[in-house]
Amino acid sequence: MYIEWSPKETWLHQINPSLKLLVIISLFTVMLLIDDLNYLFSFTIAVLLLFILFTGHPFKRILLFSIPFFVVFVSTSFTMILFGKGETTILKFGLIHITEESFYRGLLVGLRALATAALGLTFALTTKPVLLFYSLMQQMKLRPAYAYSFMAAMRMLPIMAEEFQTIRHARKVRGWEGKKGAGGFFRKISAYSIPLLSQSIRRAHRIAVAMEAKRFRMAGQRTYYYQTGFSWNDVLFIGYFLVVLAAGYYFSAEWPYFKQVNF
Amino acid sequence: MKKSMKLTEILITVMIAVAFGLVYILWGTLYYALKPLGLQMDQFIYGMWFIAAPVAFLIIRKPGVALLAEIAAASGEFLLGSAWGLTILLYGVVQGLFFEFVLMAFKYKKFNIGVMILGGLAAAAGSVIMDYYYGEIGSLSAWNLTLFMIARFLGGALFAGVLPYYLVKALEATGVTNLVRPATDKDYDTLNQ
Amino acid sequence: MKPIVQVEKLRLAFPGSKNMLFKDFSVSFNKGEKVLILGPSGCGKSTFLQLLSGIIPGSIDIPCRAEALEIPQEWGYVFQDPDAQFCMPYVDEEMAFVLENLQTPREKMAERMEELLSAVGIRLPALHTKIQSLSGGMKQRLAIASVLALKPEVLFLDEPTAMLDPEGTKDIWDTLKKVGRDKTVIIVEHKIDHVLDFAGRIILLDGNGNLMADGTKGEIFARHRTELREQGIWFPGVWEEYISQIPAGSKSIPANGKEVISLSDFKGIHGKEVKIHVDDLKVQAGEWVVITGKNGAGKSTFLHALMQFIKTKGNYLLKGKRILKGVNPAKEVAFVFQNPEFQFVAGTVYEETAFSLRMKGLEEGNIAAMVENTLRVFALEKQQHLHPYQLSTGQKRRLSVAASIIADPDILLLDEPTFGQDAKNTFAILDKLEEFRKKGAAIIMVSHDEQIVEGFATRVLAIDHGRIIKNEYILESERAGMTCTV
Repeated sequence: MYIEWSPKETWLHQINPSLKLLVIISLFTVMLLIDDLNYLFSFTIAVLLLFILFTGHPFKRILLFSIPFFVVFVSTSFTMILFGKGETTILKFGLIHITEESFYRGLLVGLRALATAALGLTFALTTKPVLLFYSLMQQMKLRPAYAYSFMAAMRMLPIMAEEFQTIRHARKVRGWEGKKGAGGFFRKISAYSIPLLSQSIRRAHRIAVAMEAKRFRMAGQRTYYYQTGFSWNDVLFIGYFLVVLAAGYYFSAEWPYFKQVNF
Repeated sequence: MKKSMKLTEILITVMIAVAFGLVYILWGTLYYALKPLGLQMDQFIYGMWFIAAPVAFLIIRKPGVALLAEIAAASGEFLLGSAWGLTILLYGVVQGLFFEFVLMAFKYKKFNIGVMILGGLAAAAGSVIMDYYYGEIGSLSAWNLTLFMIARFLGGALFAGVLPYYLVKALEATGVTNLVRPATDKDYDTLNQ
Repeated sequence: MKPIVQVEKLRLAFPGSKNMLFKDFSVSFNKGEKVLILGPSGCGKSTFLQLLSGIIPGSIDIPCRAEALEIPQEWGYVFQDPDAQFCMPYVDEEMAFVLENLQTPREKMAERMEELLSAVGIRLPALHTKIQSLSGGMKQRLAIASVLALKPEVLFLDEPTAMLDPEGTKDIWDTLKKVGRDKTVIIVEHKIDHVLDFAGRIILLDGNGNLMADGTKGEIFARHRTELREQGIWFPGVWEEYISQIPAGSKSIPANGKEVISLSDFKGIHGKEVKIHVDDLKVQAGEWVVITGKNGAGKSTFLHALMQFIKTKGNYLLKGKRILKGVNPAKEVAFVFQNPEFQFVAGTVYEETAFSLRMKGLEEGNIAAMVENTLRVFALEKQQHLHPYQLSTGQKRRLSVAASIIADPDILLLDEPTFGQDAKNTFAILDKLEEFRKKGAAIIMVSHDEQIVEGFATRVLAIDHGRIIKNEYILESERAGMTCTV
């Protein structure tokens, strides 16, 4: 969802897309290793700050985009809170057994999901897919055949969405209704996916033929219309997270927001 | 069969995978709606997130297709700005890789339902490993974890094994897959009439 | 003179097929020639063009062999589907794709793009314009611009206007004539009005890829008119021939025809915008209403509003019954989509045809009789066990009409049902629709074909900017008058 109604460009837009991707993937890995709720909380705040202040979107839209975060947070943490292991009981009701440990672990898992969602959305909102693929070709040596296939497929998405709508209308007109049960479920899925898939396969085939007719070669040399490189913004981006990770570690040890619980 | 992918095949794989990316987004809504109910009902439908791999493989039938499809589908979802995008992207790599391992074990020569079910189970295993670290599932109480595992693997077998097998069978009936099936020696013999 | 493109004793067979499509086929083309290849749909014209350009077997793997094959060094290929020949979302990025392939230095790209786009007459406020915002005709011009970047000696044109309206078709041919003047041009096309003053030589193929004739355009039209007609080629005068054999007096509307649709202050809303606004309109049983108008004027939207695909406001009476929100008019109204594939719901042609009857709950015995009859009438008997997707485009279209009218709906809406069809198939569909109308149904269809208005419409509605700007009955005498002048 790189929003077409051109948001303000911020320094996050200027970061090299490949580097941005690598950094957020590394941060995801780092998050897996953080088992301290206080530390993770600081980190999540830092990610949300970037998301709220620097994606270049007006505040109202930011709020709208954040709605799924809370769904993610609540739904992820609940299972753990209600059904997690633990000794110090807070509440027991039938199968539900909330303990201090499960509660904290629930929050931890929920925060992790929330921070990941915010990181991912920050990336998506500040990165043009086309520039990402150009950068992957130039800096990460991604083979052009893959990069252009992705870009061609992205171009087709709105067309596919339109076709999906047409199929829905057509089913309505023909009076086609799915039946209940497993067979009905399968028929419903194939009723929509077979036309879409077969159309996509044929179109992809034609596009590939057209690309080769325009002298695209799998192993060919090429020049690039968009030149992607590095800038000080990249250093700033990495620096920001290094400081956040260091400061978060320090704060969690010195001024914890939550009681420390040992799992 | 060992030949590497041609542009047509890469493009078809990516195109259908990105379309599945859209399905994944819709599926996410369903999944997270089921999740707070607890009792791991959501885990049963989790297997849908592996479906791009078997569908693409059954159509193209070449090494690497399953992995590429799963990564492409996840990237599609990621770039479209889904809140679960980044998670799915990284899970996608692991799930695709596990599916690919099963296909490799059969030397990319078996396209039957059994192998697809094995692939679905392997992808489920890959996702469980990710969940162990990311979702701390090891800390669930024993009965809940058991339920979780059963639902996840059963769903994997069903949504990524049985469903794609019959889906592609239905697709083959439309004749469109002939576009990507290479010509056989027999086809060349026709020229000698 | 040495030919620039040549093939000798070509043999080609589609995978899975037992027969060869081309068997020992030879032909050659000289530099600078403009050649039109004609033949019935499915005769392998496009396949042949792909072979001459090296796309087969380079990009598409089809068993083939030739004793000699001369393929041009520099060539360009324009495909028929505007949406399936681009891989990038923006005009400049798409042009850049070709320039990158040719390793044009980055600094020179913008200048080159301007040059190429102006050669095909595209003037845009900015190069960075979304391709999806362009009309079909503009998209095809962009495709031509990309092809010109390759500096081709030979241009292969594979039905470049098949998916365009009459205006776009004329535009594209004007452009192609300009840019192709000093090149060798090999064309496959069945809408040949604009091609004839360009192409000097015509090659005529039969249904099995055999050469029927190869000569100047004068020779072909003088000696092979029957074959052209049989093959469904849109040669000049074919419409007039067809319309002249319609019996006089057929355009009457039953005097006491029941009112089937009545609209007043009817609005179709998409997003929050009113896309179509009809003050007052009544349609009777037995009418054939043709809706005309420019691309984007709101013609399809009007049909969608009648089908309740979009939100509507105002009064809408269907056979006297008021259509309120949530009512599905599909019980009385059948709708034929522009792309027939999307409306197919069954796995075989037979089942597809039977579908609406089954929905109605008819007895199996009656269904079988009706389906067999319909399949015969629509010439789809031999295909009845095939999957609908395996049919040719013409057959698919016939099937979509057959399956829609078999259950005798009172009203039939069609969105450009003859679009991209060859002459033979167009006439077959029109015949069936006329029969259906005479049984008392009302037909409302969107079409660009003036000849359909002339030959069949009892009324024309012209739509512009979401409003009906013309609503005229067409009298029989008028048609007679028109045909007289031809």
